[in-house]
Amino acid sequence: MENMEKEKAPEVPVTGIIYGEIAYRVALLGILISIVGIVIYMISNGYLDRTCSLDQLWGGASVDTIWRECAGVKTPEGHWYLSLSMLSHGDAVAMLGIAVTSSAAVFGMWGGLVGMVRSKGGMYIAFALIVAIILTLAAAGLIVIQE
Amino acid sequence: MRLSKLSIAIVLAITIFLFSSGIGYAAETADPSMGLSPVAFFFVFVAICTVIGVVAVLGGVGGGVVFTPLMMGFTPIDSFIIRATGLVVAMAGSLIAARPFLRRGLANIKMLFFAAVPYTIFAVVGALLAGYIKATAGDFGEALIRLILGILVIFIAFLILFGGKKVEYPEVKKVDGFTQRLGLSMSYWEESMGKVVHYKVTRSPIGIFLFCGCGIVSGMFGVGAGWAMVPVFNLVMLAPLKVAAASSKVLIGIGDSAAVWPYMMRGGIIPLFAVACIIGVVIGTSIGARLMFRVKAQFIRWMIILVMIGAGVKLAIDGINKL
Repeated sequence: MENMEKEKAPEVPVTGIIYGEIAYRVALLGILISIVGIVIYMISNGYLDRTCSLDQLWGGASVDTIWRECAGVKTPEGHWYLSLSMLSHGDAVAMLGIAVTSSAAVFGMWGGLVGMVRSKGGMYIAFALIVAIILTLAAAGLIVIQE
Repeated sequence: MRLSKLSIAIVLAITIFLFSSGIGYAAETADPSMGLSPVAFFFVFVAICTVIGVVAVLGGVGGGVVFTPLMMGFTPIDSFIIRATGLVVAMAGSLIAARPFLRRGLANIKMLFFAAVPYTIFAVVGALLAGYIKATAGDFGEALIRLILGILVIFIAFLILFGGKKVEYPEVKKVDGFTQRLGLSMSYWEESMGKVVHYKVTRSPIGIFLFCGCGIVSGMFGVGAGWAMVPVFNLVMLAPLKVAAASSKVLIGIGDSAAVWPYMMRGGIIPLFAVACIIGVVIGTSIGARLMFRVKAQFIRWMIILVMIGAGVKLAIDGINKL
């Protein structure tokens, strides 16, 4: 009897399941939004002219040149796609999808933190909190490359 | 057996065809868009990245570590854009793959949160450093990035080549005091043996230091760092190989998520290119994971090693020429 109990599969930590589920679903949602965005971009062009983007991209142009030549603006800093007027462009919707995918770990980590608190994870609560804060600051655009 | 040979032949043929035609176009045509429409470009890159995803999984590495050096070595696309996209590619593949590892308890969540702190912090530092070099060092910085990445990729290829030292169930004779206090020991159900595997890990202070290095490399060069983190978990901290591989896969998703934002905030993600690459690599890794049990991967492994050495040498020569 005791032997049989030893061979039972161990309980899987709920924190991991929470993180995995949230990260997976949000990442998948982001990829789907990207696909929708890219379809719109192919049908009706976008904020960055698609032919110009391709020419510049394959010509080895830098980010700044691509933005200047294909959108006529300076390289935007921050979440350039996050406005109603921008989201009428397919590439902005695709970019929103990429951002949602990139946010998957942010949401997942906050979920994981809640799981860790509930399961009284001791110092791991602090680890999860540190990572969640770094991810959130990065996603909010507060950790940026200054020129 | 026939199926496996056929699959390898198909994968090889598509790889060689797509790359040779793409490189050929780039090298010979004066037309900056390679004579392709944006729609055709998108599908060509979905196909190329699907092949990269399949080959990478069969070769036992992540998509990002093959994607970035290949794109930097063999396409004229700006390296900042490639590295930003490489991070997104590595991250997306990892986020999708994480769920089953965590549901089965194969990825050690305590070890993950512990390693995520140095890895995430230094992945962000690496990304910021990449941006700083781009902004201040100009062509010299670009040459330096290419040279270092070239050497790194050759090193990774040799690591894959001589990586047979990995131990499936390392024996932990003594757990140091720090690791003991962290309580990283766990257990998981091993399907192949039909029993529970209880394991301990050790040397977590050395692990912290090494994860800092993994983070810097990943953030700066836009490659997933699974090739480095698996040995850290398995050979340094002595976690079982499956736990090491699963934990590293999940960790890439966390660390690279932090590193990708500084690139994104500087406009480094171009949707036309990035979405094609994400879709391609995600499809490729799924196909690769299914093929893995049917195909003898040794041949693919050799192919990856040769391709990576080729890309590494090309990057190093480019770097030296531009210095």
